[in-house]
Amino acid sequence: MKNNIRVERAIKNITQAELAGLIDVSRQTINTIESNKYVPSTILALKIARVFKKPVEEIFMLEEGD
Amino acid sequence: MKPQFLFPTWCRWLGLALFLVHLPVMHIWGIYNIHSDPKDTDMFSTGHLFFILTVVLMVSGLFLIAFSRERIEDEQIYQLRLSSLRWAIFANYAVLIIGLIFTTNKADYKDILRLNLWVPLVFFILLFRYKIFRLNRSLGKEEEYEK
Repeated sequence: MKNNIRVERAIKNITQAELAGLIDVSRQTINTIESNKYVPSTILALKIARVFKKPVEEIFMLEEGD
Repeated sequence: MKPQFLFPTWCRWLGLALFLVHLPVMHIWGIYNIHSDPKDTDMFSTGHLFFILTVVLMVSGLFLIAFSRERIEDEQIYQLRLSSLRWAIFANYAVLIIGLIFTTNKADYKDILRLNLWVPLVFFILLFRYKIFRLNRSLGKEEEYEK
């Protein structure tokens, strides 16, 4: 699974730490999601989508082989 | 995330203190060579009190260290906790099975029990801490990259 949280963050101009604070997770978690090392739960994905006011599919996409 | 049942964060330090306290008590036990007499079933005999002081202090200390809440307890930490716990159980049973195979002297079975007291907890704590350390290190690298 890919995601464009980094891009969305740049558009909204917030840091990893600020995003982490908004959805009650650690900065490490945002960092590992951005670098595709950790797949968030549906709850977390929906929370992230809510922060960026976009549907989940625009932030998280399936990859070949998923 | 729904809150999981874990001890408050400060319990980690309490656990560490209990664990450290058990070390000198253990030494005193060793120096004075206090043994609990198997026939002595009194709850307040010296041997049994020392046994409680050492073993119970150690186990409750390790238990508190292992199951106290992280500063930010999110789903990734929860996942790390779970996978560390799985490996700790694997390690524990590996040690247990190997111990049972190679222990032919029946009197040594007590040592297997003693090993079983701390192997899962210690293994879990070390693995969990190492995983968190690796997670934090990856964050450090990322910061350098962003600069």
